[in-house]
Amino acid sequence: MLVACGGQVSHDETIRFAVAQAPLNLDPRYATDAASERVNRLIYQSLVDFDASSKPVPSLATWVHSGSLEYRFSLNKQRSPFHNHQVLSASDVKATYDSFTSLKNSPHAAEFSNIATITIIDDDTLVFKLKQPDPHFPEKLIIGVLPAEFIAEDHDFSHQPMGNGPLQFISWGNKLALQRVVDKQRIELVEVKDPTVRVLKFLRGEVDLLQGDLPPELVKYLQSKPEIKVISNIGSNFSYLGFNFQDAVLRNTKVRLAVAHAIDRNAIIKSVMVNDSRTATSIFPPEHFTSKIPLKQYDYNPVLAKQLLKEAGLQLPLKLVYKTSTDAQRVRLATIMQAQMAAADIELEIRSLDWGTFFDDVKQGKFQLYGLTWVGINTPEIYSKAFASESFPPNGFNRGHYSDSKLDSLVKKEDWAAATKRIHEQLPYVPLWYEGQFAAMRKDIEQYFPKPNGNWDNLATIKYAH
Amino acid sequence: MLNNVLLDKASGLFIVIFGVLVLTFSLIHLVPGDPVEVMLGESVTQTDRQALRADLGLDQPLIKQFGGYLNSVAHGDFGLSIHTKTPISQLIKTHYPATLKLALLALFIGASIGIPLGIYVALKAGKWQDFAITIISVRLSAMPAFWLGPILMLVFAVWLGWLPVSGMDRGTSIILPALTLGLGLSAILTRMTRTSLLEVLNDDYIRTARAKGVKETTVILRHALRAALLPIITIVGLQMGSLLAGAVITETIFSWDGIGRLLVESIEKRDYPVTQACVLVVALSYVLVNALTDIIYRLADPRIKFGGNA
Repeated sequence: MLVACGGQVSHDETIRFAVAQAPLNLDPRYATDAASERVNRLIYQSLVDFDASSKPVPSLATWVHSGSLEYRFSLNKQRSPFHNHQVLSASDVKATYDSFTSLKNSPHAAEFSNIATITIIDDDTLVFKLKQPDPHFPEKLIIGVLPAEFIAEDHDFSHQPMGNGPLQFISWGNKLALQRVVDKQRIELVEVKDPTVRVLKFLRGEVDLLQGDLPPELVKYLQSKPEIKVISNIGSNFSYLGFNFQDAVLRNTKVRLAVAHAIDRNAIIKSVMVNDSRTATSIFPPEHFTSKIPLKQYDYNPVLAKQLLKEAGLQLPLKLVYKTSTDAQRVRLATIMQAQMAAADIELEIRSLDWGTFFDDVKQGKFQLYGLTWVGINTPEIYSKAFASESFPPNGFNRGHYSDSKLDSLVKKEDWAAATKRIHEQLPYVPLWYEGQFAAMRKDIEQYFPKPNGNWDNLATIKYAH
Repeated sequence: MLNNVLLDKASGLFIVIFGVLVLTFSLIHLVPGDPVEVMLGESVTQTDRQALRADLGLDQPLIKQFGGYLNSVAHGDFGLSIHTKTPISQLIKTHYPATLKLALLALFIGASIGIPLGIYVALKAGKWQDFAITIISVRLSAMPAFWLGPILMLVFAVWLGWLPVSGMDRGTSIILPALTLGLGLSAILTRMTRTSLLEVLNDDYIRTARAKGVKETTVILRHALRAALLPIITIVGLQMGSLLAGAVITETIFSWDGIGRLLVESIEKRDYPVTQACVLVVALSYVLVNALTDIIYRLADPRIKFGGNA
């Protein structure tokens, strides 16, 4: 199959995709990691999906709000059958969402606790009745539909998924083998953790496609290779720096403002980030349906930052501790921010911790500053989960314990524009950037483009040019 | 006598295993990070969290959890991986042979390069060959796997196209990770063989053998090397123990699905049962290899009696 040929191996028709992290769980009711969700989108199909502006759109079904507590879903007539050729019907949808009530350890179960009953009208139609009104209910129905018969048998979807998506599961050993339903194109996902090794495998011809998770110097190197095509796109995943409001110093708005003015985002993007990376002003990028009013950037101004710190009555230099993971690129970015902040008399101590420890510290509020990225966020419901006073962990993601009654009321009224502006002014997060997306592939590969949120949806269309 | 030694080793083994079980169980519960949090994320209710905690038995007092764990291990049941729901014994069965295969080949490479080279430089002691090989072996032993591995990949896979970069797809996939581990080991063995051999080469019995007109090859291989073998066996045993403990970095770089990689990933994901099982298997390997080394040691040197002192 693979033949050595002067440092390059020839390939058969299989497309091999090297990923930094393999999926952990192929049961969409359990999966939470990005890789699993990206693959599950291809193996299964959900009732609802999101368009480019993050508005919910029909996928497997259209819907109408048939009563204050009722949503009526009609399945598309032209829907694909399950990969075992069984027809997907309303009873499969009901079984999928009903199963959440009996699952003890599904991270998504709480999302569906508002469902009172699911009634099947006919094979193509069903009605969800809710306990409480929820205008955003359809946005939650993004879990892939599973066959009812398999659910009843307690089938191991985690390792042997069965859906009706464009890719069918074949096998899963040290690589995940999938096959496209329409043309039998085989696609393999190979986990290669080390970025340098991923590039070496690509150069050697052992893999045909890479997406994201490479330092910019390796991307630039790949761009210089004539036999390789690198396609980039804007990103929508939001990187930020979070503050802890339990810290007396950081509760002062002037201090947070000073930190915002002490980071030169443009210089960082230009020097150490991939093409198409953009500075951010809010969680949602400009193309999101809630982003109507452009917000002003916090420019790099160390003099102003120093002035703000003095006005806050602090003794300089201000010593702050920044927590991040051990990921090389994250540590590099932290080091640059440390140098930039020094000009504003902020002494930033970097503590890089293994992911489990770091994330646990963040969730428990054991930090002054931390850096993270929100991945694949579509709905403005995130404002409530990340910033509302009632969302302190374990009830939400308000890890910095930010509490603002004005924002709470704006979020309750769903005045997203005003809420975005308020967050921008109050700075519970310093918005950093939306990192650009890129994919590197052999020249003879077509119809693959990186999605802004990093999803692998184009594996449904990718092919060799012949 | 041999039976006594084995009995002695077996009782020691049980004590070590119990110690390992106590230590890993206690330490892993001290490390920050909660498997329930990792599994469920942050958007679940407190009730769901408690339900899962109860389901996994994590709501029980630590001593009770440990008792349950001991009971399961005694029955050969390591439980299921928290994340993948795969039986852990199945994970060990697939990952351990991969590590064993890699460790044995690395040891073979290390010994087949290191011991002959060590003899050669001992015979050329003080000459330019000695200096040159000493410099090379010091450099080699100082090279970390995360550097040497990619360099070998670049040369043998990308430039020359002889071998695959990483993975486990082909029979030849093992060569580069084994070389990465074996070259470092060969450097250590070269140095150890040289030093050890030089010590015995000046002994009276070697001088006597030479005076009696015994051929130089026989003097070196039959008389000197046998005496010099003891420290080499010790090093080989220790290194083999380390290799079986999983060459974490090498396995990660080369996407080699061994026990070291499994261990590191389980720690990252706070998959407690997998971590505990891996540590136990690693500790067991270490103890067994050491016991085996001890036995070989006694066989190699008749002055060391089984069951008694030298």
